[in-house]
Amino acid sequence: MAKKQSTKSPKQTDEVLRSAVDDNESSDEAYSLTPIDRKRAITLIGSAIGLGVMSTVISRIIPNPAVPKGPITTHKIPPVQDGAGEVDILVRMQNELRRALLKPMEQRRWLMVIDTRKCVGCHACTVACIAENKLPPGVVYRPVITEHIGQYPHQITRFFPRPCMQCNNPSCVSVCPVRATWKRPDGVVIIDYDRCIGCRYCLTACPYGARTSDFGNYYTEHTPEIQPYEKQPSNEYNKSWSREGHGSPVGNARKCHFCLHRIEQGLLPQCVSTCIGRANYFGDANDARSLVAEMAKSSNQMKLLEEKGTKPQVIYLV
Amino acid sequence: MIAKLISWIQMFNNETMLKKLKILWLCLFVPGVIGLLIKVISGERLAGYGSYVPWGIWIAVYFHAVGISGGAFAVGVIGYLKGIKGLRENLNTTLLVSACSLITGLLAIWLDLGRPFRAYRVGISPNFGSMLAFNAWMYSIFLVLVGIMLFLSVKRRQANVVNDKTGWLVPLLLLGLLLSIAYPSQSGAFFGVVDAKPFWSSAILPVLFLTSAITSGASALLLVYYYLRGESAAIDTPEQGPYPYLRKIILAGIAVYFMGEFSEYSLALWSPISHLKETIYLILFGKFWWVFWLIHVGGAIIGFYLIFNAQSVTKLAIGAFIIVTTFISTRLNILIPGQSIPELKGLNEAFTHARLNFNYSPTMVEYLITLFVIAFGLALFYFSHKILSTYIEKEN
Repeated sequence: MAKKQSTKSPKQTDEVLRSAVDDNESSDEAYSLTPIDRKRAITLIGSAIGLGVMSTVISRIIPNPAVPKGPITTHKIPPVQDGAGEVDILVRMQNELRRALLKPMEQRRWLMVIDTRKCVGCHACTVACIAENKLPPGVVYRPVITEHIGQYPHQITRFFPRPCMQCNNPSCVSVCPVRATWKRPDGVVIIDYDRCIGCRYCLTACPYGARTSDFGNYYTEHTPEIQPYEKQPSNEYNKSWSREGHGSPVGNARKCHFCLHRIEQGLLPQCVSTCIGRANYFGDANDARSLVAEMAKSSNQMKLLEEKGTKPQVIYLV
Repeated sequence: MIAKLISWIQMFNNETMLKKLKILWLCLFVPGVIGLLIKVISGERLAGYGSYVPWGIWIAVYFHAVGISGGAFAVGVIGYLKGIKGLRENLNTTLLVSACSLITGLLAIWLDLGRPFRAYRVGISPNFGSMLAFNAWMYSIFLVLVGIMLFLSVKRRQANVVNDKTGWLVPLLLLGLLLSIAYPSQSGAFFGVVDAKPFWSSAILPVLFLTSAITSGASALLLVYYYLRGESAAIDTPEQGPYPYLRKIILAGIAVYFMGEFSEYSLALWSPISHLKETIYLILFGKFWWVFWLIHVGGAIIGFYLIFNAQSVTKLAIGAFIIVTTFISTRLNILIPGQSIPELKGLNEAFTHARLNFNYSPTMVEYLITLFVIAFGLALFYFSHKILSTYIEKEN
C-alpha cells in the first residue's frame, strides 16, 4: 500500500483532491432526507443545552478554591510599644492590625481609606510598592492619578493613588477561565500565580486598570548584565517567586494584594507605611474601634467608578 | 535588478495555479517561522500589547478564524441538508474547513497566552462562569463531534441519502449546527460581558460576530470549492453548483453586518452625551482610520461589487477572497478601539511605560506570527484534505 502511495506523483494526488468535487457532481438523483431520527436529534441537542446551562450554574455556585479559615488563620504578634506622648497613627494602625490578626480570617475585613487632602502626589507609595514586590518594568500596583480641576490660575490639583479596589463584586474574578483568582474571606482579591494561564481576560475586565501583566522584562536588560537585585524573588502571598527562567509570575496577571505577606507578619502594607503625608488608613473594617473604621464613616467620601457595580472597597476622602 | 524581478514575475505567471499558491504560501511561512523563533526566544517581550491594551492582532486572528470555522460549518451543513449541489457531495470538505479553521484560531490564542503550557488547566479546572472557559469547552466538544461526523461521512456509501446507515450523522450535524452558531455568537458575548469596556458592553455584538462569521465562512467555502475545482473552474459559471447559494449568503451577510454597524455607530454619534462617541471617533478618524475606511468599508464594497456582478467564477472567487481577508477588520475594529479608551481618566499619564499605554500598534513579531498562523491554517487544510482524499480513494 505504502509503496503504491509513494509512487503517486504530486499532480496525480492533486487530481484526487479534486475528484471529490468532480465525481459526485453528476449525481442528480433525488436527495433523500429520510430516515432521520428526530427523537435522537432532539435528545442530543436538548442534552447539550442542558449540560451547558447546568455547568454554568454549577460554576457560579461552587465556591472558589478553598482558602484556610478558622483558628489556623489567626496570628499572635505582640503589639508595638507606644512611645511617650502622641502616638503616630502608623503605630496605632499597626497595633489595630495585630489585634485583627487574633481573629480568624473570615471575621476581619481589610479596608483602605485614602485622604486625598493629605496626599501631596510624591509617588513614594508607588515606588515603595515596586521595591517591596520587586515589580518589573510595566508592572505597577499603585500608580497615582493626577486630576486637575479648573483652569490656571484658578486650578486645583488632586491626587488619587490607585491600588486594587478589592471589590466586593469583582469583575476580574468571574471572567477567569481557570479559577486562578478569587476573593478571600478577609476581602482581598488574590491571584494564584501557579494556576494563572496568562489569558489577560481579567485585565480587560477591571475598569480601574488595576491588573497588569508581567511580560518578563527587566529594567537592566539592555545593559551588559541584568542586575542581581532584579532577580531577587518576590514574597507575594507568603511564597518565594523567582522570575528567572520564565518562572511565574512572568506571563501572569499581577495586582495589588494589600501586601498580604506583610499583613500576616503584623506589618502595614508598604504604601501605608511609606506615605509621608499619612494619607493612608488601613485596618480591619469589622473593628469598630479601629482608625480605618472611624475614617470610613466620614461623610466626605467617594469611591471610584461606583456606577460600574463592582462595589470597590477603597474609600477616598475628598 | 528590475529585469531579474520581471523575469521572476514572468516565471511565476507561467506556473500552475497550485504551484503559484505554494510559492505564495512559502512567502507567508518563511517569515512566519522566523517570527515564531523570535517569539520562542524572547517570549512576549517583543509584542506590542501591554497591560492597558492586553489583546492585540493575534486575538483578532483567533476570533476571525473561529468565526470562519462556525460560519463555514453552518453554511456548509445547511447546504448539505438542503441538498445544495456541490455542498451535498462535499460534506467532508465542509467539516475539514471548519475544523482546520478552528484549530488555526486556537493556535493563535495559544500563542497569545502568557503561560501557554498551562492551557490544559481550562480542561481540568474550568470556570464555566467565564465565557473563555465556556468557549474553550465548546470548541473541544465541537472538534470531537467533527471527528465523529467526518468518520460517519466517510463511511457513508449512498451519495443521495443524507443520513448514514447508523442514523447518527444527521442528529450530530444538527448538534454541530447549534454549536457552530453558538460559538461565533459567544465570541461577541465574550466581549459583551465585559462591563468595564462600554464599547464592548453591547447586545448587538453577538449578532455582529455571528453575521461576520457566516459571511466569512461562506466566503471561505466558496474559495475552497473554487480551488478544488482546479482547471474545471474555468468552464464553470456562477449559476452552477453551490455558487448561487454561497453568493446570496455572502451578499446578505455583508448587508446585514453593515446595517448593524450603522445602527450602532449612528445611535452613538447622534446622541449628544453618548460615552461611546470617543471610541467611535477613534475607529473612524484615529490612528488606524485606514483599517475602517480602506480595509473594512473599501474591502466590503469591492468584494460586494465583484460577487454581485460576477460573470465568471474567478471574479466570484476574488470577491470571496477579499471578503474573507478584509473581514478580519470586523474583529479588529471592535477589539482594539474597545480597549483604547481608559475608564479611569488620567491613568495613562499616572505611570509611564510602553506597556502601560492605551495606544496599541502591532510589532513586527506580531505580524510575523500572524503570517505563521495563516500559513499553518492553509497547510493544515491542504494536507488533511490530501490525506482524506487518499484514504477515500483507497477505500473505494
